[in-house]
Amino acid sequence: MSGTGSADERRVGSLRELSPAVEPPRDLWPQIEARINAERRSAPAAQPRPARARPLPPRWLAAAAVVASVAVGVWIGRSLLPAARPGVQSPISAARATLAGAPTALDVAYVSDRRYQRDRAALMKSLQARLAALPQPARAKVMASLAAMQRAKQDLESALGKDPGNALLQELLVNTYQDEMRVLTDVQASDAGRGI
Amino acid sequence: MGFSRLAAAMTALFASAAACASGDRTFERQVPAQAHGVVDISNVSGKVVVSGSDRPEVSVRAELGEGVERVDVSTDHGRTTIKVVLPHSGHGGDADLHVKIPKDSELTVSAVSADVTTAGVTGVQRLNTVSGDIAAELGGSDLELKSVSGNVKLKGHGQPARLHVSTVSGDVHLEHGAGDLEAGTVSGTLVLSLDSARSVRARSTSGDVHFEGKLARGADFDATSVSGELNVRASAEAGYAYEVSTFSGDISNCFNATPGEHGHMPGHTLQGTRGDGAGHMHLKTMSGDVQLCDRK
Repeated sequence: MSGTGSADERRVGSLRELSPAVEPPRDLWPQIEARINAERRSAPAAQPRPARARPLPPRWLAAAAVVASVAVGVWIGRSLLPAARPGVQSPISAARATLAGAPTALDVAYVSDRRYQRDRAALMKSLQARLAALPQPARAKVMASLAAMQRAKQDLESALGKDPGNALLQELLVNTYQDEMRVLTDVQASDAGRGI
Repeated sequence: MGFSRLAAAMTALFASAAACASGDRTFERQVPAQAHGVVDISNVSGKVVVSGSDRPEVSVRAELGEGVERVDVSTDHGRTTIKVVLPHSGHGGDADLHVKIPKDSELTVSAVSADVTTAGVTGVQRLNTVSGDIAAELGGSDLELKSVSGNVKLKGHGQPARLHVSTVSGDVHLEHGAGDLEAGTVSGTLVLSLDSARSVRARSTSGDVHFEGKLARGADFDATSVSGELNVRASAEAGYAYEVSTFSGDISNCFNATPGEHGHMPGHTLQGTRGDGAGHMHLKTMSGDVQLCDRK
């Protein structure tokens, strides 16, 4: 009970608590009907009603969304992610280049958040230095894990290309993006003097 | 007999000489500590062995390899800090730390390639390594553990606690855990055994997940993997409702339930209830196979 209510007032928790005998104070429908009819009369009667546009089939909509997303994805890939240097690459920069490969449609849906974009770009920028600072066996394992995540993302995106509305795949892809950020953050924190 | 004594003395002398020649030094120090204080330990390379004791002190014994500058031990307002200091320039060496702490201390260990071992610590443990392996005894308090490529071995005694374990490529083996578990890995294998679980969340990208244990009444179990296998053998006090989904993996079970199709979409599902259905189990993969059994 609120502090301003009288003692007789009580809250209604369900429609069932309302009495069915209560009638509305007046029937509003005749007035509404009259207004609709008046508007119909004032509208130009001669104009033929335009043919109703046929809705696009869902597969065309999906295809258009994928094309648009890929375009934005390529733009993000080129403008945000570090490009691989031409020429001979070290294993680290090769792995980095693989990670920075052109994202596909679902990348874009996930990376539309600005903070995510900014944080990921910063982590990718320092990844090479962090990997180089790791002990050799650890570096190899981490690079293999990053490659596994990249493969997982590609597999999920490929499967989603065939079944764009699949909630299971979407959930797993989002999980993989989150895991990638966790790994990048952990590697970033693996300062030689501090651990993680 | 005389010859034996001479041989033993020669051996000890030889070992001491070898240690001196290799540049190894030892360090020992004890400082008073509170029973429920905080102990922070950091070491880059070598090992860290921590054991809980009933004595109200922190005792440090270390063997310092060449390239290790010193060990700093400080205490302030109930917090004891032990830090292996390396020279600013050049590569550091190994330091083997053996630390005894009051058993109810809150323990934090940060290491890079050093292996970490804990035993007999009943307070909260936070253990972090980059490539070092971790072996920890669970003492009934919460555990937060992170490793990049180190392997993890955890041994509990069935006392409920909140356990949070994550690795990138390291394998995780947990025995006799209990309570709430959150475990994640990218490519490592999770082998999890819980005596009594209230909630379990296990996640992997390509690593396999094996679970064996008993779920408490109303427990939640959630495991996902992209391409890793999920192998779950979980009994429950009051049963559970299960839902298994996979896009292209196979589903099998030990209670003869038949997986269904996702309608016109690819993928398989398996849904149903075991026992009273008080708990909830969700298992999801993209291409990994799933095996579910309601018996340990």
